[in-house]
Amino acid sequence: MSNHSMNCGRLKRLLPPFLDEELPGRMREVVESHLASCPVCRAELEALRADMALLEQVRTPEVSPYLVIRVMAEVRQQKRTAQRGFARLAGSLAAALVVAVSIGAGVLFGSGIAGTITPVAENSTEEAVSYVESSAADMYAMMAGGD
Amino acid sequence: MLSNPEVPVIDDADLVRKAQAGDLGAFEELVRRHQHGLFSYLYRMCRNSSDAEEMAQAAMVKAWEKLGGFRGASSFKTWLYRIGTNLCFNLRSRRKPTEELHETMAAPDSERPEAAFQQKLREEAVRKALHCLPEDQRAALVLSVYQDMSYREIAESLGKSVRAVDSLLFRARTNVRKVLAKDRARGII
Repeated sequence: MSNHSMNCGRLKRLLPPFLDEELPGRMREVVESHLASCPVCRAELEALRADMALLEQVRTPEVSPYLVIRVMAEVRQQKRTAQRGFARLAGSLAAALVVAVSIGAGVLFGSGIAGTITPVAENSTEEAVSYVESSAADMYAMMAGGD
Repeated sequence: MLSNPEVPVIDDADLVRKAQAGDLGAFEELVRRHQHGLFSYLYRMCRNSSDAEEMAQAAMVKAWEKLGGFRGASSFKTWLYRIGTNLCFNLRSRRKPTEELHETMAAPDSERPEAAFQQKLREEAVRKALHCLPEDQRAALVLSVYQDMSYREIAESLGKSVRAVDSLLFRARTNVRKVLAKDRARGII
């Protein structure tokens, strides 16, 4: 393979980025210099350019005028849902806070009541026990007296 | 309005910042700016305007959902196209291969039916050539030829390196040209 044909082979690989203006300055100069002296590569560049121009001729249908409306309707709906979700979350947190405060207050209040009720309960039991004991004693005394 | 020539044009980055702060008008302007390009890209990827529009809508809504996490490392445009690309590749991989819908568009020159017919043949040949390509090659070529994107922008849109894009484009062009050369030899184009 001659040096010239090898250069043409390597140059062919550089033609697309050359056409796209993506080659760095020094490389671009090398390609331009080769093209100036090589009709085969110039023809290849023109064929590549013509095929890309052919691709560009293909048209696309117009986008629907309602696309923006549909996108924004969905976006607004999402924003509302997110806001509602946030409000629901805030409401849930507030409700949870109320419940927690109520339970806390209940515990505190409950323990306060328990402090006053417990002795009464204990007293009542003691009174009942002493009543039963005294009643039993009276009953034995009466039975003894009856003999 | 933003399209008024007397009002300085706000760039995408400013609109993104406003939209991130909850400004729906700013987001709507971004949608207006990119709807044609995104739709056109997706249409060339799937050859069906109804699917392309559905994907464009889904991509834009997803962009809104993810906008809070967008840090501006790339442009909004290439970020949006990346979302569209992912949706397109996912949709196509989920679907069973079906006959693509070939849509007919109004002839560009109805007074010259022969020219219109030739144009239609050329368009069909190009569409077929594009659809012979693997998806990533097609996406790279469509973004380069029709969206006029630089290699860096294509890399951002496809989530690939610039070197990978250069390689994809070279293979895409080589493959497309082979198909077109056959059509040319048969006198179709």
